[in-house]
Amino acid sequence: MKWMPAASLFLLALPALAAPPSPAVGPPGKPAQDTCTECHQALDDPRLQHPATLAADDIHHRQGITCAGCHGGDPTAEDPQQAMDPKKGFVGKIPAQRIPEVCGSCHSDASFMLRYAPNIPTDQLAQYRTSKHGLGLAKGDTRVATCASCHGAHGVLPASDARSPVYPTRIVETCERCHGNKALMANYRISGQEVADYKQSVHYNALTVKNDLSAPTCNDCHGSHGATPPGVASVSNVCGNCHLTQREAFDLSPHKDAFAALEQPACEACHGNHKVLPPQDSWIGVGEGQVCGSCHSASDQGAQVAAALFGALDGTVKRLEAAHARVEQLEARGMLMDEAAVQLEEAHQALVLARNEVHTANRARVEAQTSQAQQALAKAEGLAKAAEEELRFRHNGLKISLAVILVAVVALALKIREIESRSQ
Amino acid sequence: MKLLEKLWRALDERYDLQPLLAFAKEKSVPCHRHDWMYYFGGLTLFFFAVQVATGILLLLYYRPTAEAAFESVQFMMTRVPFGWLIRSIHSWSANLMIASAFVHMFTVFFSGAYVKPRELTWWTGAALLLLALGFGFSGYLLPWNELAFFATRVGTDMVSKVPFVGHWLLKVLRGGEDVTGATLTRFFGIHVAVLPMITTFLIVLHLAFIQRQGIHVPEGEKPVRTRPFFPNFVLREAMVWLVGLALLAALAAFFPWELGKKADPFAPAPAGIKPEWYFLFMFETLKLLPAKVAGIEGEILGLAAFTVGGLFWFLAPLWDKRRARGARNPWALAVGWVVLLYIASFTVLSYLGVFK
Repeated sequence: MKWMPAASLFLLALPALAAPPSPAVGPPGKPAQDTCTECHQALDDPRLQHPATLAADDIHHRQGITCAGCHGGDPTAEDPQQAMDPKKGFVGKIPAQRIPEVCGSCHSDASFMLRYAPNIPTDQLAQYRTSKHGLGLAKGDTRVATCASCHGAHGVLPASDARSPVYPTRIVETCERCHGNKALMANYRISGQEVADYKQSVHYNALTVKNDLSAPTCNDCHGSHGATPPGVASVSNVCGNCHLTQREAFDLSPHKDAFAALEQPACEACHGNHKVLPPQDSWIGVGEGQVCGSCHSASDQGAQVAAALFGALDGTVKRLEAAHARVEQLEARGMLMDEAAVQLEEAHQALVLARNEVHTANRARVEAQTSQAQQALAKAEGLAKAAEEELRFRHNGLKISLAVILVAVVALALKIREIESRSQ
Repeated sequence: MKLLEKLWRALDERYDLQPLLAFAKEKSVPCHRHDWMYYFGGLTLFFFAVQVATGILLLLYYRPTAEAAFESVQFMMTRVPFGWLIRSIHSWSANLMIASAFVHMFTVFFSGAYVKPRELTWWTGAALLLLALGFGFSGYLLPWNELAFFATRVGTDMVSKVPFVGHWLLKVLRGGEDVTGATLTRFFGIHVAVLPMITTFLIVLHLAFIQRQGIHVPEGEKPVRTRPFFPNFVLREAMVWLVGLALLAALAAFFPWELGKKADPFAPAPAGIKPEWYFLFMFETLKLLPAKVAGIEGEILGLAAFTVGGLFWFLAPLWDKRRARGARNPWALAVGWVVLLYIASFTVLSYLGVFK
């Protein structure tokens, strides 16, 4: 079939889509009935058959929206010529440039969307237009992502469906289809390494290994429809959405203003952006591979504070590990160490808080927490010592008991021998 | 000494104790290659006495409710002076008592001591072993820890397989549909009142039968020389008891009995739930059986087989007439070896993790 110029197609289709007339849109909640799927399912050409086979699962089709809802035409006509009559608004394959408008014709219509869900957002198209993808498309770049690139064209599933390409655990692979293509990304001065980096991060691990759906994936930081990289000023806000206490601590630190003045992104400066690895205490310092060294030199006050922070954390960690091993060993030897375990947990909690206080870069605040941890550790060590003494007491008691029993057994044996030799 | 003699005379005058003393002096025990086996009955009795003594001490602190049982045992293990020792000895002694009772039973079986005229001694002994297993099963739940809770749930569930009255029996045993605080309370009652009463009565009977009939001497060892019961045998038995005591002390000191985690009825069953070692051979056998055998549930078939097998073992004095006549019975010996090898191999293989 011959394609009509895009603009005229758009004009033809838009009135039908903005207020979809019956029978293109059926009553909500009732699967659509149309001749399009019936005929296309029977076709031999997989390119034409495939969309129809996906219709049964498609959220639109399940909600009564026929193929004509997007493609126009007459979904009740038996005759293919009539069903796909351009005069009836039939548009065939929708060009990439038009996809956001086609989807937006319903999804931006609050009164129409209200028929399906009262709280469904209707600002996707507006957001998309502000996104890097939307801006690119507006300039005529058809390689950028449109609605169908992420949600699929046919067989569209709700984002809450685990099979959907925009379900939290699948978004990474969806974005990776383009953003993992280094040749394509080179056109936009993007390295194409971002997704591979993200896959090494704590966030990806939480999402895929721990199955924590609240862990951030691409769209949690970049936005879904208004996808764009967070700017220098907004990085700490993005991370702070979840890492609230770290953000509050950072806001108290001298780094906040200094980073702003240097136009350095706050969290990213130390933790990276996509490849956010599990933070280590050993990062604190100005040595090689340590994060403070990016700005501080070994002779300045920042280096001294960093050394003090590391010292406070490292000393506590080592003491905690030693106490842990000691308590575990006592447990393995049969001692009940529940109270010591409580103290160890308290020390661990205080250490977590101390690590959070590192974001303030305030030595006193960090040491206040590590000293809490040390106090709990001292109690745990006291309990471990008492248990070790108790074990020594038990073993000494056993030795004495066994010696007494042995003496009694020997005495009995001698007595028996004496009695039996007398009687013989 | 004069005072003691005076006391003896005063008692003898009133209670005519001379014949008893004469009986004790005359009483003797056979002496032969296999007379070591005579000590295991006494050793089992010793462990039972330890159980009674330590059990009474545990009662001073134990609280039999779902809310307080675990905490009370924890309190005993950590706060009560020597509480850890008493509880560990009670747990270890229970296991050693059952082990010693098993050894005693098999030595009696292999030596053919169960045949006429000692049928009642065998039957009271078998009943005592069952009671000991009952002690083990009911006592296992009392600390109300996770493993015990789920093992009891599995164990009591077996009762529901009994045809017709299974469900009713299950409810009686558990005090409801599931293992709850009501189960704990009735297991406690059974453990500290019902079972000790019946056991004491049967022990008295068991000993009275032995006393009346004398100790059995295996065929092939007759005629035998004897040794006086008092003091020779008593002193030897005392030596065995002291060794048992030393073993208990060492086990309690080096391997204090674990308490584990408090039972949480709403938590999923932890992996690797196992009953006590003396139920393992039955547990593993039931697990090996297919779900259905000829249309009958595998577990029901297994339990029925154990009941029939147990009954066959129990009734040994009735089917083994050859040994009663003093003849050899290779069939009975074969039965004994098969049972012993089956129980021993399944228990060991279970510990080796072969059935996982």
